[in-house]
Amino acid sequence: MAQVELSNISKRFGAVEVISGLNLSIEDGAFCALLGPSGCGKSTMLRMIAGLEEVTDGTIRIGTEDVTHAAPKSRGTAMVFQSYALYPHLTVAENITFSMSLAGAPKAKQREAAERVAKMLQLTHLLDRRPAALSGGQRQRVAIGRALVRDPKVFLFDEPLSNLDALLRVQMRLELAKLHGDLKTTMIYVTHDQVEAMTLADLIVVLDKGKIAQAGSPWELYNRPANRFVAGFIGSPAMNFLKGQGDGQGVVLPDGTRLAVAQHMAKGAPVELGIRPEHVKVATEGPIRGRASVVEYLGNTSYAYVETDHGPMVVEADDQPVKAGDQLALVPDLAKAHVFDATGQAL
Amino acid sequence: MNAKSIRRWNLVGGALTGLTLIVAIFWAFPIYWAVVTTFKFEQDVVKAGVDWLPIRWTVEAYINALFNTKLGLWYLNSLATSLMITLLVLLTSAAAGYAISQLNFPGRRVLWWLILASFMVPIPALIINHFVLMSQMGLLNTLTAVVLPQLIAPVTVMIYKQFFDSVPKDFREAALMDGASQWQLLFRLYLPMNWGITTALAIITFIGAWNNFLWPFLAVTTEDKMNVTVGITQVTDAFGVKYARQLSSAVLAGLPVAVVYLLFQRRVTQAIMLTAGIKG
Ligand SMILES: Nc1ncnc2c1ncn2[C@@H]1O[C@H](COP(=O)(O)OP(=O)(O)OP(=O)(O)O)[C@@H](O)[C@H]1O
Ligand SMILES: [Mg+2]
Repeated sequence: MAQVELSNISKRFGAVEVISGLNLSIEDGAFCALLGPSGCGKSTMLRMIAGLEEVTDGTIRIGTEDVTHAAPKSRGTAMVFQSYALYPHLTVAENITFSMSLAGAPKAKQREAAERVAKMLQLTHLLDRRPAALSGGQRQRVAIGRALVRDPKVFLFDEPLSNLDALLRVQMRLELAKLHGDLKTTMIYVTHDQVEAMTLADLIVVLDKGKIAQAGSPWELYNRPANRFVAGFIGSPAMNFLKGQGDGQGVVLPDGTRLAVAQHMAKGAPVELGIRPEHVKVATEGPIRGRASVVEYLGNTSYAYVETDHGPMVVEADDQPVKAGDQLALVPDLAKAHVFDATGQAL
Repeated sequence: MNAKSIRRWNLVGGALTGLTLIVAIFWAFPIYWAVVTTFKFEQDVVKAGVDWLPIRWTVEAYINALFNTKLGLWYLNSLATSLMITLLVLLTSAAAGYAISQLNFPGRRVLWWLILASFMVPIPALIINHFVLMSQMGLLNTLTAVVLPQLIAPVTVMIYKQFFDSVPKDFREAALMDGASQWQLLFRLYLPMNWGITTALAIITFIGAWNNFLWPFLAVTTEDKMNVTVGITQVTDAFGVKYARQLSSAVLAGLPVAVVYLLFQRRVTQAIMLTAGIKG
């Protein structure tokens, strides 16, 4: 077990800077999710921690050790790949204990370790099969077993669930949460699925073009987004944004409507008001008017996509039946509203 | 397809089968004739007329080949050199293919181009150089001299490189995380993942080495160091040509290759297709 410290990490591929000046501290035993859109550098970050990719600049510490230039095997990390990368010519047991076999551990010891890990992951009856004869979920478990057997200080996962179907994904997510609860080992988990990140992690790091947009608990990210990028990225359906101008403790929309908020702004400053779909009520009277174009019924709730004078908005219409084509008035709960300045920073 | 076009199709198919059959007969006849001849008495061989089967059967020619010549020794020489060549060629080719495919070292591209270039040079063009080199090293008339020049196998290197290139990067990285060294990567991951290729290449290298004639013929002049292919040219008689005897030693010389071929038919075909893919 160990904390992970990244200081001033940069990574360039040729002239392209993929990660720039990144600082991050992950506590011992934390479950940290690296979240971000495709191409933002999540995998690159993880591979640098694993030692599969050289860092261009900066230092990486695992525990008390500086591992910036250490070989992958001597960092005490184990990785689960998106493709699983199970060795096709070896059985499940041999796959799990490949690292021990490379290190020359006695056969009996290997078998014992394989059986111990297999029991944790319900793989016991599959130990003598080859990967080709396994289902996706079973392969996933073998890949986790291979990491587990090394008893690493830090587990690294690169989108481990993205090749599984929706049902299995939820199940494996729970198993991973349980595993983390049992082992209490530091885990770093790359995903572009915010539900995975929100449900699994204590610490979510949102990356945007190689920089940390915000790092914090799921609660912080959802309720206190530091900037417009995080506000728009976390939450589904996404937050609504309305352009306007600041006016003391209010935002003036282009049509002159003034919405009173808690935040302070200079008069006339261009700002954006952010409000989540569940914080907008459908009513008969309200400051924003529009026409519902599509209504999605989800059973427990429904979402109405509304064309307003200020652009499209999504609202959660759970206590009032709404049909496509209805003229609606919307009442935002302005105590829950977020305001972002021209640079996208939250006020 | 209507009935007419089916009939036409069958006709074309039939004609092709017939043609293949005729070619096969042309090809197989000399072998048949050689084998049949070895079971004849020498007088019957030179008798006028065609005997499809021996009038009187005998294995005298084989007894002569096995006991009055050094065929046994030649067999051993062939076996030793061919196995040695196969082993060394595969080992060096796999290592070279791995290095060129997976390692980053200065001169990698140059090395690769050299191997490609050496593949453009036909071996017979180098045979004089090989001879002079072996003679200067004082190796002529040894099995080492037979083996050394046959270790040049650019095609095997190229095939290994191709296959190692196509191994997904994740396997390599997973093994690196598991603590594999470069040798372990090669012998525990890349080779085992491509066993089929190694067996195919082993068979075709072995057959090539066993059948090779020109170089062993030049490198060795003492009977004791000869390969089977060279040795059988020595089965002549002071009293003129003895067809049955010569052919029986030829049949014995070719037998191991035929057996290998029959046992590993599928692998051999695969190997030939592999090398053909590169030779174009
Ligand atoms: N070996 C490489 N050479 C050049 N550019 C690279 C290399 N590897 C990654 N990149 C670039 O670095 C950027 C980040 O890549 P990375 O794989 O880390 O993205 P990611 O966040 O994991 O995306 P995804 O969610 O699609 O997996 C991308 O723009 C990619 O094109
Ligand atoms: Mg990725």
